[in-house]
Amino acid sequence: MTSRPTFGDFIHAAYWHLDPATTVHGLPGSRGSAEEVSRSLLRVITVMRRYVEDMTITFPGMRSRPQSELAAWASAAIEARVALVSGAVFLDAQAAVSRWPDVPAASPLARRLDGVTESLITGRDLLQTHFGLDWDGRRQHRSEWAFVITSPTVTRALLAEIAALSRTIAAQGANLALAYLPGGRDNADVRRALNAACQWLWVLNASVQAAHHREPAPVTDGELLCSIPVNAPPARRLPERGDPVTALCEGTVTTAERLRHLAWDAAERAPWSSGLSVTSMYQVAAANAVTSHNSEVLLRVLAARTAQPGFGQVSAQLSAAAEAAARTRHAWLGVAHALDDISTDAKGRVSRAAAETRDLAQWSGRLAYANPDWTPATGPAQAARAPEDLAPEPEQVPLVTAAAHQVSVALTRLARAEQEQIRAAAQAGRILVTTRSLSDEYDIPRPFARAPRARVERLLARYREAAHSSRQITAAIAPAAGATRAPSRTLTAAAAALGHGHGHAGAHEKETMPNGFAPMPACPEADHGPGPVEVTLRRLGVSRADLLRRGAELDQASSRLIIDAANELDPGQRRPSAIVLNRSAGAAEVVNHALASGDPRAVALLRQHARPERESPEPEP
Amino acid sequence: MTSIHQMHERLRSADGIEAVLDAAHDAFEGLLSIIRAHEDPADGLFIPLVMAAASAAEGRNAITFAPSLPPRRLHPATGVAELGDTNITVGLAALSELLATRLVDAARDAPYPSDQAACRAAARCARDIRALLIGTGP
Repeated sequence: MTSRPTFGDFIHAAYWHLDPATTVHGLPGSRGSAEEVSRSLLRVITVMRRYVEDMTITFPGMRSRPQSELAAWASAAIEARVALVSGAVFLDAQAAVSRWPDVPAASPLARRLDGVTESLITGRDLLQTHFGLDWDGRRQHRSEWAFVITSPTVTRALLAEIAALSRTIAAQGANLALAYLPGGRDNADVRRALNAACQWLWVLNASVQAAHHREPAPVTDGELLCSIPVNAPPARRLPERGDPVTALCEGTVTTAERLRHLAWDAAERAPWSSGLSVTSMYQVAAANAVTSHNSEVLLRVLAARTAQPGFGQVSAQLSAAAEAAARTRHAWLGVAHALDDISTDAKGRVSRAAAETRDLAQWSGRLAYANPDWTPATGPAQAARAPEDLAPEPEQVPLVTAAAHQVSVALTRLARAEQEQIRAAAQAGRILVTTRSLSDEYDIPRPFARAPRARVERLLARYREAAHSSRQITAAIAPAAGATRAPSRTLTAAAAALGHGHGHAGAHEKETMPNGFAPMPACPEADHGPGPVEVTLRRLGVSRADLLRRGAELDQASSRLIIDAANELDPGQRRPSAIVLNRSAGAAEVVNHALASGDPRAVALLRQHARPERESPEPEP
Repeated sequence: MTSIHQMHERLRSADGIEAVLDAAHDAFEGLLSIIRAHEDPADGLFIPLVMAAASAAEGRNAITFAPSLPPRRLHPATGVAELGDTNITVGLAALSELLATRLVDAARDAPYPSDQAACRAAARCARDIRALLIGTGP
């Protein structure tokens, strides 16, 4: 539930390009130039390699330690890289041009692959917006999402997506490579090389499958990856009279996301920033006290709405969250009281974050109160919304829960950011007191003096309390968000990925991804299709079920035999090149079928225990 | 302890920029202490009072940047202000209205631009407090 582009938009686009139902690129099938497809496949492999290279940051020691000592997913990342390098070697050997094509490809599959490349490049660019370089050229985090992106959780999910795409591409590419085209312009070597590259994509898939079998990845990994937004604040929105609850929830979430973004920026800013003023601090504290108050009202109404069969423990969880919101209000009031005694050297400047905390107070108030014109200045004694007005249908409960959840996370982030800023400003001597406020023991001939340490410490303690109690709201709402499948449940997954989750996972979060892949609709061509015997029977026009079943059994038996035999070979025995294995179309079909089976042991057909045959320089797509 | 009536009187009788700034500073502090004593989440006035407190603090801080504010109080500090029998909304709205009026006048008569700017900023805060309390706030 965000108005910003997310990584999921681009990974879904990549799948869309490969979906046989997508006809914009032309009908799927075996038509097209193998040379052109090889060039497009090399571009896909190149960008996939970049993703896998990025993962070296996540798994420390991935480059330096022996593979046998690495955990399952770190090992899979290495094997994925080796598979991509090995696949690229075959395509490079055919002098495939790596530059982006000047004109759109003629072959439908090449166009599909170019679409995948474009989606993957844009998706990676989106992830990279969360990183920058510092003055020394070192990689630097530019948002709170940067920590999530480099977490093992998201890395696992990314590997699973690359594996799923590889599997789909391998099936479509091999289909074209092995198609018999009378009078076709492509020579057999190009087709064999294309098939060999596809086989390495299957190897990549099998490696990731193996990691998943050893350390199953939960469904929430993929959801978290797909929810990563571009690192840019969503556009500012203000509520309008008569906004329905759905629009109010969206506005609240958008404003909470903007505030988290601004809070990160503020915390990163130099301690001499002019936005750091006591005026800003007061506005943040007052608006957050109001927002916490509104959150308490909202959560109590939502608890009343969910106090009926079908919602399980949700009502009790929301009531606990309302209690935590009351404590948070008290904590922010404590911050405001502590600010009564201090000043800063910057007068009257209001930071962007401070200005927008008032927006959040307004959005949360519009949700909580019945008055459609509510603002913090509307006046006393505003009636809360009726429970059935807040969420007339059960489907609206997750949206309101998500809004309250996002607000609590924004409050936590703001408390931390203010705390960090004040600590830095105090060290720079910018936190002051008026000499009028000091006792007569002080004889200072200036209107301001540096704040006594005790006052700064008291202020920082109040911010710590505000952050702590805001986290308690989040911890209390998280189970309700999980149980109602609120869009904000990815916040819980993000916290868990960073190792400071709240120990709660909804029932669905314990599920693991079927076959180790992200929850994408299955692409029929990517599935383990019929083997060569069954295909031959079908081409003969055989339709008897018992014969087709027997054919499928023979195909399975041959795959198993080949895989078993490959695994019994001496580890030191050098495997033949994929080109050698693919010398005849019949043999290539049998090997493809074994590799496409998804059996993790199938990698032994191609994978050497030593390094890949040759590491090609990374071309620019 | 200073009553809200005494703050009214000091503001009304303050003569000259230094005295007006001194009285206004103490009046904002008085407003702040009264509001702090009445911030009750169970009360319907809670949100207007929280926002009004922020404006009172901002008004006081604006005045502290006025060069003509005496470095020492002209009257001894008396701790927490007292509302007496006055209704809180009526009492604080009336005091903030008077504050706004005196500060606007002071801004017009002040010799230094920094004094003028401080008085104008503080007057705006006083008007905000009044609007918040009577329900027509910003």
